[in-house]
Amino acid sequence: MSIWRSAAARLILAQFLMVAASTALVLGFVYWRVGGVIDTEQRAVVEAEIRGLADDYSRAGIIGLARAIDSRLARPQARDAVYLLSGERGRRIAGNLAGWPPTIAPDSGWVTLKLIRTDRDVPTEISALAVRLPGGEQLLVGRDVAARAAFDRALWRALIWGLLAMTLLSFVTGWISVRMMRRRVSTIDEAANAIMAGELTRRIPAQGGGDEFDRLAATLNAMLERIETLVRDLRTVTDSLAHDLRSPLGRLVRHLHTAQAPDLAPEEWQARLTKAEAEAETVLSTATALLEISRIEAGIGADQFETVDLAALVQDMADLYGAVAEERGLRLSVEGQAAGAATVISGHPQLLAQAASNLIENALRYAPENSEVTLSVGSEGESGAALCISDQGPGIPEADRERAVERFVRLDPSRGAPGSGLGLALVAAVARMHGAQLSLTDNAPGLRAQLSFPTGGAG
Amino acid sequence: MSRRILVVEDDADTRDFLAKGLREAGYAVEASASGREGLHHALDGGFDAMVLDRMLPDLDGLSLLKSARTAGITAPAILLTAMSAIDERIRGLRSGADDYMVKPFSFEELAARLEIVLRRPAAPQAEETRLICADLELDLISRAASRGDRQIALLPREFKMLEYLMRRKGRIVTRTMLLEGLWDYRFDPKTNVIDVHISRLRRKIDAEGEPALIRTVRGSGYTLTDQP
Repeated sequence: MSIWRSAAARLILAQFLMVAASTALVLGFVYWRVGGVIDTEQRAVVEAEIRGLADDYSRAGIIGLARAIDSRLARPQARDAVYLLSGERGRRIAGNLAGWPPTIAPDSGWVTLKLIRTDRDVPTEISALAVRLPGGEQLLVGRDVAARAAFDRALWRALIWGLLAMTLLSFVTGWISVRMMRRRVSTIDEAANAIMAGELTRRIPAQGGGDEFDRLAATLNAMLERIETLVRDLRTVTDSLAHDLRSPLGRLVRHLHTAQAPDLAPEEWQARLTKAEAEAETVLSTATALLEISRIEAGIGADQFETVDLAALVQDMADLYGAVAEERGLRLSVEGQAAGAATVISGHPQLLAQAASNLIENALRYAPENSEVTLSVGSEGESGAALCISDQGPGIPEADRERAVERFVRLDPSRGAPGSGLGLALVAAVARMHGAQLSLTDNAPGLRAQLSFPTGGAG
Repeated sequence: MSRRILVVEDDADTRDFLAKGLREAGYAVEASASGREGLHHALDGGFDAMVLDRMLPDLDGLSLLKSARTAGITAPAILLTAMSAIDERIRGLRSGADDYMVKPFSFEELAARLEIVLRRPAAPQAEETRLICADLELDLISRAASRGDRQIALLPREFKMLEYLMRRKGRIVTRTMLLEGLWDYRFDPKTNVIDVHISRLRRKIDAEGEPALIRTVRGSGYTLTDQP
């Protein structure tokens, strides 16, 4: 992998460039401002000195001035100072310059030039101010520019060192943060690889600080949890499907096999084919129901929602199933809904009817003879509309109620009741599609299945 | 001359099964495997009905039907769809289909529905007020039913069911058709709801000693007929 492909390397580079640029900017500004201040300061000092010396001159005459210059030159801090007092024609009276430089005219402002000081061997660059005194003498006061240059060099050195230090620091901190980031990323990476290798229960460890990586780990773990559930569900469904298809397919093959027996009476042959057909129908209806559930879960048909009156739906259902219930010695009754209870929802009329029919068929299947199956709309104490089907059958033990709505779950296989084990799963899927809650509760005795729809119609 | 049916279905097994079944039932069948070829045949005209698969590799059944209808082909059409009835029906009927069927279906169901669409009058007839089958009479205005001299008291649902059967006298009516025609439900109940309703109606219509008018057609459904 190229170093520039690494996000970390790019991050370090970006950080370095930022730090370098900002350090250079800050120090450059400091240099510019400090240099300017020093220049101004120095000039102010020189101007003050000229005023002081002019005072000495007016007070003590040319002799006093010469003395003052000599005493100033004797001071240790005057190392960079340059003084010259000359006669009218430029002859030196006092100071550390050999004679009046011919290029300097008095009272012409600041000048910078190279001169030979009497106390040095090499010419030095000085910046100076010259004035003519009232008696015709000329006075020059200046400062050795070399001192300023040395200061400049020192400042530059400080700048370079500062820049280097900042750079190094930025590299080090960048490296450390990148290392830390990489370590966190690689734990996620490792976990993901382990999961891909089949270790589905593996989770991403959190450090516990609650930082961004911990939050990412928590989100990813939640996602993994969901995926694991889905995979497990899918496995259950696949396993159950295989199992559920095996039995009828096995019987189908057996019927077809026996139908091929020689010397079979035509009626017997017909009977076996009919049995085979029935087994094939079973397989088909299982597949159809599964497909229907998948389609509902995929949200197909959700664009065909219309206004559905649950009260009318319940009446139609009672009308459709009333006769069957009577044949089985059961009473199917519609309970009047509470006054003002909401009965109109937005939903898929066919799927709602199918869900209701599945619940009613379940109730009719398990209800004991001479008992009552009750359909009702609306619910006590709740604002939303609800569809309720209750029977007086054996009910579902509380522990099994959650499992009952999963695909292929038959709670009591010993009963040998017919059914694909998909009826309640379909109801649950329809409920989810409508944003409704399917609750199975105890009807004491029996089961009470309720579809509670959200207020204001389902989305 | 036997009636001509156009079958467009890309699955060879289904196509042969349909063609064979329909020929045995006395129809002349033109079977086509592709949508374009099917449309070609349809536009040639001369078919009494069309059975079209919804999903075809080149030109799907819906588009085929739309093109045919635009070209003025009015022969009734039944769409076959592998998709769930619930969301396909509206689209199918909107595009000009007269009926739709969800795969897998039984041949008997298709035959029954084909009979119905073939006999569907091109223009609605003047509203009938009395339906008669042998000595069974149904008065649609007074909503009274009688057989010979015997008055029959029918519940509203039973009346509608009898009306449905009488309007399709002599033709096979399947359980799915009854559930759809009378309750407007298009799912497949696991219980024998329709059979129970029919047997109750039958007890009222066909009394002891009277010739049975409501007959069970094995493997298909029911028919109301005065033929012996």
